[in-house]
Amino acid sequence: MFLTRSEYDRGVNTFSPEGRLFQVEYALEAIKLGSTTVGIQSSHGVVLAVEKRVTSTLMEASSVEKLVQIDKHLGCAMSGLVADARTMIDHARIEAQNHWFTYDENVKVESVTQSICELALRFGESADGGEAKMSRPFGIALLIAGVDENGPQLYVFSETYNLNRFFYHKVSCRSVSIEGFFLGTYTQYDAKAIGSGSEGAQTELQEQYHKSLTLKEAQSLALKVLKQVMEEKLNVSNVQVATVTVQDGFRILNEAELAETVNSLA
Amino acid sequence: MPYDPHPNHEGFLNSVGSPIQHRFNPHTDNGGTTLAIAGKDFCLVAGDTRQSEGYSINTRYAPKVHELSNGSVLATSGMYADSVNLVLNIETRLEWYKHKHNKTMSATASAQMLMTVLYQKRFFPYYVFNILGGVDEKGEGCVFSYDPVGCYRRETYQAHGSSAALIQPFLDNQCGAKHQNIKEELLTLDQAMKITKDAFASATERDIYTGDYLEIFVIKKSGVTKHKFDLKKD
Repeated sequence: MFLTRSEYDRGVNTFSPEGRLFQVEYALEAIKLGSTTVGIQSSHGVVLAVEKRVTSTLMEASSVEKLVQIDKHLGCAMSGLVADARTMIDHARIEAQNHWFTYDENVKVESVTQSICELALRFGESADGGEAKMSRPFGIALLIAGVDENGPQLYVFSETYNLNRFFYHKVSCRSVSIEGFFLGTYTQYDAKAIGSGSEGAQTELQEQYHKSLTLKEAQSLALKVLKQVMEEKLNVSNVQVATVTVQDGFRILNEAELAETVNSLA
Repeated sequence: MPYDPHPNHEGFLNSVGSPIQHRFNPHTDNGGTTLAIAGKDFCLVAGDTRQSEGYSINTRYAPKVHELSNGSVLATSGMYADSVNLVLNIETRLEWYKHKHNKTMSATASAQMLMTVLYQKRFFPYYVFNILGGVDEKGEGCVFSYDPVGCYRRETYQAHGSSAALIQPFLDNQCGAKHQNIKEELLTLDQAMKITKDAFASATERDIYTGDYLEIFVIKKSGVTKHKFDLKKD
């Protein structure tokens, strides 16, 4: 198997005889190494929770940034090669501001996800004269949370997911199988975990999630799930939580609010 | 001294010896008048249909009020050719928006978009004075008034075009309750129709660029209806 692979895994624009793009699949491996990130949608808003790997006691935990704002009503959590996410988030922010400038309205969550996906295709050599943004596939997965006229929504962007490439899908636990094939379309979910602990976390979400979660309950659930898959003991400095609601838009919880939720778990 | 590209004027003098200006003016004013009035749950947009060039009438029926595919109505006065191009441009963008965002553009969004479209041509403008009428997210009538380079504002009533100077003060009085000791209130559809017809009938008497037919579009949440009336053709 590895012999066949080595012939076709050098270029990002060469298919293997079985119709696979290995470099794109390797990008998935990079995502699997990323820290665990959880997103949960409730009818009151979306919760994003990330694990911060604080590798040294001398490290300033607050400088690790894995939850970022895209627009007032949009935020995202990342897992994988965080540096790669910068390009995408820049792109998403510009898209959101452009939309606001041109139409005097907030961009839809789905539209901004779509624009990120378009960027994700622009690696390797460009065929249509469009400039290539990256020499290799992006090694990143994003949970994109936001509120628009369709209510609170959670989308997942991943360059590759199993055998599928360049897709985005709306996340929900009700989908039959998260390991299934998503062929260039998006599937509706309500909660999703990405990163190294995602398998265990997703199973847990599948069991615990229900439609009538309040925002507070969703926060607790997100942390509870993280707690189970994290190697270190969960505390206020190695996790970060953000919410996106109609009232407040995207907001990262401050230390006091985070402490309250963390303490309520025990 | 102004800059003179041909200082000896050789070959550039007319029969009386003064210099001839060879200059192409890309813009022309085809005359005509438009008007819009916003109500509580409707918006009325109207315009005459005469198209003129100097003292000639090109046609008696060249509509300058356009129903757009998002359910808004755009009234264009000024240069007809530019307005045709502008409407085509806007329609294309409405279609692209639908494909990209999977919804029809709201009236307020198209108002902002029209601004960007006009301002993009800041240094070779569409010579068009626009009024955009529609129904906003709350279901209330909205009127947006523009200058050719995109400066715009939401109004409750507005007249543009060759008879704007005649009609606007009339609307100020009738719609805006100016110089009356009464409170300004939004008009009913009935009142707005009457005022519009009177305004155009009177403008036709005084303005040679306004006349022939009057087209009135009424926009409600439920859709757009179009009415056509005669104006004097002299």
